[in-house]
Amino acid sequence: MTTGTTTTADEAPLFGPESQFRAFFDDPRWALAIIRATVLEAAHPQIGAALADNSTFVAHPWRRLRNTFLSMRHMFDADPAVREREAARLNRLHARMSGSDARGRTYDAMDRATRAWVVAALFESAVTMCRLIGQPLDQDTMERMYAEYRAFLAALDGDAGELPDDLNDFWRYFDRVVEDELENTEAARIILNRLFDHLPAPALLAGAPTLWAAGRAVVGPLLGAITVASLPEPYRRKAGLPEMPGAPTLMQGAYLAAGLTRFLPEGWIDAETIIETLSLSPDSDDPRARTVAALRARMKRASALLRLLTPLSDETGPDPVPAASRITGEGRRSAEEFFRQVLDQTGDGHLDWPDLAAMAREMATRLDLDEPEETRLYDAFAAWWRELQATLDTDGDGRVSVDEYAAAVPSLAGPALIRVAEVLFDATDKDGSGTIDADEHRALFRTAFHRDLTTTDGTYGRSAFVGDFLSFMAGRRTNTPYDPLLADA
Amino acid sequence: MPRHVACVMDGNGRWAQRRSLPRTAGHRAAETTVIDIIEAARAAGVEWLSLYAFSTENWNRPGAEVDYLMRLVRRVVRKHAPLLLARGIRCRFLGAADPRIPRELAQDFEDLATLTADSRGMTLTVAFDHGGRRDIVEATRSLIRSGMPAEEVTERLFADHLPFPDTPDVDLVIRTSGEQRISNFMLWQVAYAEWVFPEALWPDFRAPDFLACLHTYRRRDRRFGGVPPQTNGDPS
Repeated sequence: MTTGTTTTADEAPLFGPESQFRAFFDDPRWALAIIRATVLEAAHPQIGAALADNSTFVAHPWRRLRNTFLSMRHMFDADPAVREREAARLNRLHARMSGSDARGRTYDAMDRATRAWVVAALFESAVTMCRLIGQPLDQDTMERMYAEYRAFLAALDGDAGELPDDLNDFWRYFDRVVEDELENTEAARIILNRLFDHLPAPALLAGAPTLWAAGRAVVGPLLGAITVASLPEPYRRKAGLPEMPGAPTLMQGAYLAAGLTRFLPEGWIDAETIIETLSLSPDSDDPRARTVAALRARMKRASALLRLLTPLSDETGPDPVPAASRITGEGRRSAEEFFRQVLDQTGDGHLDWPDLAAMAREMATRLDLDEPEETRLYDAFAAWWRELQATLDTDGDGRVSVDEYAAAVPSLAGPALIRVAEVLFDATDKDGSGTIDADEHRALFRTAFHRDLTTTDGTYGRSAFVGDFLSFMAGRRTNTPYDPLLADA
Repeated sequence: MPRHVACVMDGNGRWAQRRSLPRTAGHRAAETTVIDIIEAARAAGVEWLSLYAFSTENWNRPGAEVDYLMRLVRRVVRKHAPLLLARGIRCRFLGAADPRIPRELAQDFEDLATLTADSRGMTLTVAFDHGGRRDIVEATRSLIRSGMPAEEVTERLFADHLPFPDTPDVDLVIRTSGEQRISNFMLWQVAYAEWVFPEALWPDFRAPDFLACLHTYRRRDRRFGGVPPQTNGDPS
């Protein structure tokens, strides 16, 4: 990994424990800056189109957050082998993303200038965050940090030529991109207007939809207003974003308040712990899961009590809580529920290739696949997609709608789906022993064997694995290990 | 002391007619009795109390009365939820599967059951939209689906497929208003139950009447036709 622009002597300590990047990791202010950076990225037409087509952040934001976080961890790991491996994985992942946006312009996730903008937005947001909380970085730290981010880009792209060498030139570059290239993209609008208002509950809080909805109704619009107010003025004007009275004050207040957490004892706020805890599923065998399960049970009871105590406004008032799970019962999802929670990974209301690619991506990420296993998995999913398209896409528009899916549910388990199960089994069975042992199971599902799993001698055989995969995908069974993998937000 | 007491809450309509009130007034008056009996049963040490609130056949009653009943039940459930929780009464609803039950009411049933799931004081089973035969048919279906060979089916195994298999056999059934019918109520569980038929209409039935019924039960000589006392439920 040579950057060509930074000296090799600088390189070793760049990613060490003292790196600026690491210092921000556990800082809650960083969360606000990340949201802002994501909007700036999504406002780039190329990135916006790629996000709108491929990203799962609308339907599964928490899973996406966790993956991004872990990926960043690897990219800034002290061990160069870990960094190179992660860079190679990210490149493979992005190489699979290309297409064209609604206006017919092509996008390519491997485009070098576009990738430079991702890094630029992250860097600028970190600097802006420090300014907003009233602790601006001094020139030396800023330059050091800039070098780190350029090295990050170089690790991905081979060199950082797309970003100016010098920090002074960077600001001109940044302003020019904001002025000339950013647009009011659909992805940016979704993040600003829809994501926070409709943010699904993370796995930890999924049992308390009422509490989650109540909290979200307050926090969602606030987060939106805070993010809008922190965006560069030229972009706000171009995207027609509202200038709300008091929003800048609110935004600075929020950053300041987040900044105050630096007075908390060290180790109180640890981003990794928070993200891991939020993604915990109650039936996982993590030692914390017992506490979490107890907590969830209490929250479930609390929301039940809350609902029961809410005065009856009107006898015919609409009930905000969908009762779908109650109607279907017997541990099966309705076709619509399954479509929304599992199949439509990108949350755009249709099933097409990016949805299945997102499933393959999630599985490949969890299993930490290298080539050629990763391509085999993608190929199996692609074959399944062709099968689905052939059987389900009755109106021939190239994608599958909920109605088309619901009408043809029984024919979902074709040979290509079985093939996906088999390829997934081979990929999970790392040592090629023909069975999946507890560690291999944990890699894919992040949990040990379930009690009711049909295992022989503490292993999980091929036919049982294929059978369980099919009963999840075709039988729409709930409460399987696949739920945290594909269905949880 | 009977372990499991069930009440068929009969006579609300007649209670209202005798007072020249609409039938719905009788249902409203039943609320007081329900709370009174729950309290009396708990105090007397009854571990399981079942109330027969609404049978599958009751859907045939006039639409307005059914509507009124649904709203009334919803109000009662919400009103007394904190009390039931504080008293340590585990509540659950037997039946309650018909799509004609309003969604909001079903949600309230579910919430109350969730809320009190860990209570250990007394288990209150409210048979709402319940039919004894339907439960047996459902259990049979579930048994067939489980693929059990016919000769291996025993009474105990069959009972495991009924809804709420932990419910012990009913020891005493109280049917108010002097009517002497079973009316398709918990058919499997009442196999060896003693029956008492007090003349009082349900809205007039009170804790002392309930205790009198328990007293009658204690004087009865239960023989179970030579069968052991508990054929299902707790395996002790």
